[in-house]
Amino acid sequence: MRDLAIFLGRRLGGLALTMLAVSFLVFLTLEFNVEGVAVKVLGQFSTPDQRHAWLAENGYLDPFLLRYLRWLAGFVTGHWGTSTYYHEDIARLIAPRLGASAILAGAALLVMVPLSLILGVAAGAREGSLLDRSISLIAIVTTSIPEFASAVFLSAVFVIGLGWLPGVSTMAGGFNLRELVLPVSVLVLASTGYIARMTRSSMAEVMNQPYVRTARLKGASPARIILRHALRNALITPVTVIMLQIPWILSGVIVVEVFFAYRGFGTLLYQASLNADVYLVESCAMVSVLVVVVTQMLADLIYVRLDPRLAAATGRKP
Amino acid sequence: MRRGEMGRRDFMRTMGWLGVSGASAAAAAGLAACAPARPKASRDTLRFVCAVQQMTDPALTTWIEASNLFRNSLEFLTEVDADNITRPFLAQSWRPSEDLKTWDFILRPDVRWSNGDPFTAEDVAFNIRRWIAPGSKSVNRTAFAALRDLEVTGPHAFRLHLDRAVCSLPEQLYAFTCPILHRDFETRGGDWPKNPVGTGPYRMTDFEVGRQASFQRRADYWGPAPALARIDYVDLGTDISTHVAALAAGQVDVLYRVSVAELDLVNRLPQARLIRQQAAQTVVMRMQHDARPFDDLRVRRAVQLAADNAQMLKLAYRGFGAVGENHHVAPFQPDYAPLPAQKRDVAQARHLLTEAGHADGLDLALTIGNTQGRFEQDTAQVLQQNLAEAGIRLHLKVLPASEYWSVWDKTPFGLTYWSHRPLGVMALDLAYRSGSAWNESHFSDPGFDRALDNAMARLDPKDRARDMAGLEKTLQDQAVMVQPYWAEKFTAVSPRVRGYRAHPSDYFRMDKVWLADA
Amino acid sequence: MTGLVLVGGWLVVALLAPLLAPFDPLVSLTPLAAPGAHAPDGRIFWLGTDLLGRDILSRVIYGARPVVGLSLLATGTAYLVGVASGLAAGYFRGWVDTVLSFAAGVVLSFPVLVLYIVVIVALGASYANVVLAVTFGSAPAIFRIVRAIALDVAGRDYVAASVAQGEPAHRILVQDILPNAAPPLLVDFCLRIGYSAITIGALGFLGLGLPPPTPDWGGMVSEGRAMALAFPHLVIFPCLAISSLVVGLSLLADGLNEGGRHA
Repeated sequence: MRDLAIFLGRRLGGLALTMLAVSFLVFLTLEFNVEGVAVKVLGQFSTPDQRHAWLAENGYLDPFLLRYLRWLAGFVTGHWGTSTYYHEDIARLIAPRLGASAILAGAALLVMVPLSLILGVAAGAREGSLLDRSISLIAIVTTSIPEFASAVFLSAVFVIGLGWLPGVSTMAGGFNLRELVLPVSVLVLASTGYIARMTRSSMAEVMNQPYVRTARLKGASPARIILRHALRNALITPVTVIMLQIPWILSGVIVVEVFFAYRGFGTLLYQASLNADVYLVESCAMVSVLVVVVTQMLADLIYVRLDPRLAAATGRKP
Repeated sequence: MRRGEMGRRDFMRTMGWLGVSGASAAAAAGLAACAPARPKASRDTLRFVCAVQQMTDPALTTWIEASNLFRNSLEFLTEVDADNITRPFLAQSWRPSEDLKTWDFILRPDVRWSNGDPFTAEDVAFNIRRWIAPGSKSVNRTAFAALRDLEVTGPHAFRLHLDRAVCSLPEQLYAFTCPILHRDFETRGGDWPKNPVGTGPYRMTDFEVGRQASFQRRADYWGPAPALARIDYVDLGTDISTHVAALAAGQVDVLYRVSVAELDLVNRLPQARLIRQQAAQTVVMRMQHDARPFDDLRVRRAVQLAADNAQMLKLAYRGFGAVGENHHVAPFQPDYAPLPAQKRDVAQARHLLTEAGHADGLDLALTIGNTQGRFEQDTAQVLQQNLAEAGIRLHLKVLPASEYWSVWDKTPFGLTYWSHRPLGVMALDLAYRSGSAWNESHFSDPGFDRALDNAMARLDPKDRARDMAGLEKTLQDQAVMVQPYWAEKFTAVSPRVRGYRAHPSDYFRMDKVWLADA
Repeated sequence: MTGLVLVGGWLVVALLAPLLAPFDPLVSLTPLAAPGAHAPDGRIFWLGTDLLGRDILSRVIYGARPVVGLSLLATGTAYLVGVASGLAAGYFRGWVDTVLSFAAGVVLSFPVLVLYIVVIVALGASYANVVLAVTFGSAPAIFRIVRAIALDVAGRDYVAASVAQGEPAHRILVQDILPNAAPPLLVDFCLRIGYSAITIGALGFLGLGLPPPTPDWGGMVSEGRAMALAFPHLVIFPCLAISSLVVGLSLLADGLNEGGRHA
């Protein structure tokens, strides 16, 4: 237990340090030049004296480091500033959007994980078979099609061609499951193949292990072999792969949300980038990084928990 | 129209100024009753796709979308309708002095605020004075720079004193930053959505930035009751193809705007009806006189001569509009003066460039913001091809829209969108007068300014057209800009929507709109 | 094999674009012509034309250049940075390793598109910034792979022998360690070019990519999307192009992986 606590403590410390470095980089990149902010707030027809007055009022004429520290202090205490476009408190702006993206990503994972695991196990169990080769090929093809391309194809077929599904997913009339179908489908198409292939190769490797071959020689049925002997070890890699896919899913979510006008975190960041809404971009970047770092840490923990060899190293019982 | 003849539009404009209501003017002009009969007040809700942006003080709004929301509740002194006719609104009538420097306004006596207070000249005084106050952050301060002060002359009357003649004052009073707020606006917090008091036919009942805003019909409105019981404004983001998809799926009824790119899609869909509107909106590719190499008139002339305005209209805007003549006055504006047509002449352009010392070509950079849509960069790409024929290599710098507004008046060669104005002289006064805050081309010519003053002092557009001819010619001869075309406006609505007209300035009024049964 | 054909094909197309493209991709002719329609001078628009009347086949062919070129360049730069730092970290260890690993961790904690958006909001969109953003996004992962291999190999006997003989560090890195890293890196290289291509396409789609009038597959999809119902040829061909390139790269990587395993 003590080892685990030390392990956790070191990881959390690393997380904090990373976030600090990220915050500095983000602030440096975005706030070095602030002349444009006044224009964005006051509009293009504002006069230079109006802009200067606004800049002075809002503390923009102070030195860079002071502004950074002020922002950092605010960020840590939950004061993320006000969006120059929406004119709303950023923390309150981000929270519901993050939730919406979580629903989208969660739904995608809910479909993606079982699907890719089943496909991967089926392919890996019979390495080299027709099933294996077909699944591998489909996986390669689907992962190679960019999200925006599959969104275009699916949309053209199901929205405008057949009219089965709604074209936008704004949830204007409350939560609507039908509006989730297309965005989730695009995300699933993009990532399932990769996870399936990782599962397949992991499964294939396990199936070739001596103890599995021994079981087969002893006459155990294929199902029993898979479920009892192979699965647990084969799933170590896929589970961590899934956790490590989260940064990619976050990227894909941006494209999908923009395409289907889904009011999530992705559209928020995209709009912020178009409006050069500096505070909002900073906060969104920080939140994205936080999500990635936390999931990576969780992936490490799970990996340690699942892999019996590492469990011994950290003192946990396998 | 033959010289000396006052067209129907000009007649109605003059009638409007003299305080005659629109309907009587129409009758006087011998027109049949205009709009089709509207049904009585219904219980329908209309869903309008529009960005729901934060607003606190309507006089400080920078985007027109916000004004379309409060236009349901807040009203203006005058109204300029989709036909460019200025009508009485909260002001019943107005009369300028001979020199157009003193304007007397008479207000309607029967208007009531939604909180029960009567509407008086004090409300107007409060508004106009805060627009022009020295500390005002509103764009109205520059727009009404000629306004010196306001004098209340009665419970429903006031007088405006100007420093110089401004013939377009009634038109300017309908600008989207000029709604009349309650006189207690500032003492009650200065945040309109929190206390949405207005004189208009609707009351705002819901306002969520970035999401939705709702308006309910008000019982005690001074005018005829609108047909729609409720209007919901829904924010679907900026991607218009997403809006069209929503319209196709029956999720919304009216779109704020559709661009050329979506025209074919809208025409293919049975659930969407296209609405077109002629508008004096344009893109101006202006060259700054004080930046190299545009300080040489020959270079500017070469660029103008090599540009093919008709091709830009045909390719970038699919031909929906009128060709521009590089002087920012549209043929359908009442004070337009026709000039001899300018012909494209690539050979002459090359000749001028050689004379100016650029015999082996010239490298130029154009900054574009795509603030209104991709057609801006499409226009620039056609210009790029046009100029290539004259040996000019045009490099395009595309910025995100909000970035463009930081540099629009600084970049030597930029493509700026100018929205519709009902009178030609208004744009000239804003954009080309020496030292004007919106003079992005840095054009400065004292003779031009004097001619502009003369034009501004003429009330009758036909009189003004004579001055305008000189102004237009100066702008052309000085090769201030390449102004390729006047673009039509489009939008799409569901087939159930009736009585909706696109407005050339995007100032939509919903009180005459109704929904037919499916 | 299929992978090699696809990738090789696009490489050839990118190199020989001026010879292969029937029209100038930047010149406007007949707007929105259907595939197979005739140009004013009698030639055929095999894939139709776009909104501004430019031949789509030519734009797809020329579009291979920025995609292939940028992906190669960006991935190459990422490799330079990643390999150099990975070797250094794995071999020298100590504070060099700590600092480099931390830096890699920081950059890796950004989701790729978020990183790109931040870079492009700050610095604007241009060829150089896209390459910079892709390099930032890919170098850390390469760093980790190379570092792991370097750590592993550095512990082996023949390396110890070289050190004992007084071989300079850079010689050891290049002669002893690098060849061990080559096979997995080759596979990773192919895959990574594919991911760069997808991300560059996505940037073009979001409007944050290359300036006009550069034919850019992602940008072509974005421009034609609104009219895709009436004119599907505007989006289908660029999508097919980018998909086939990335599929080819993935198949190639897969083939190399298989080959490496059976060797």
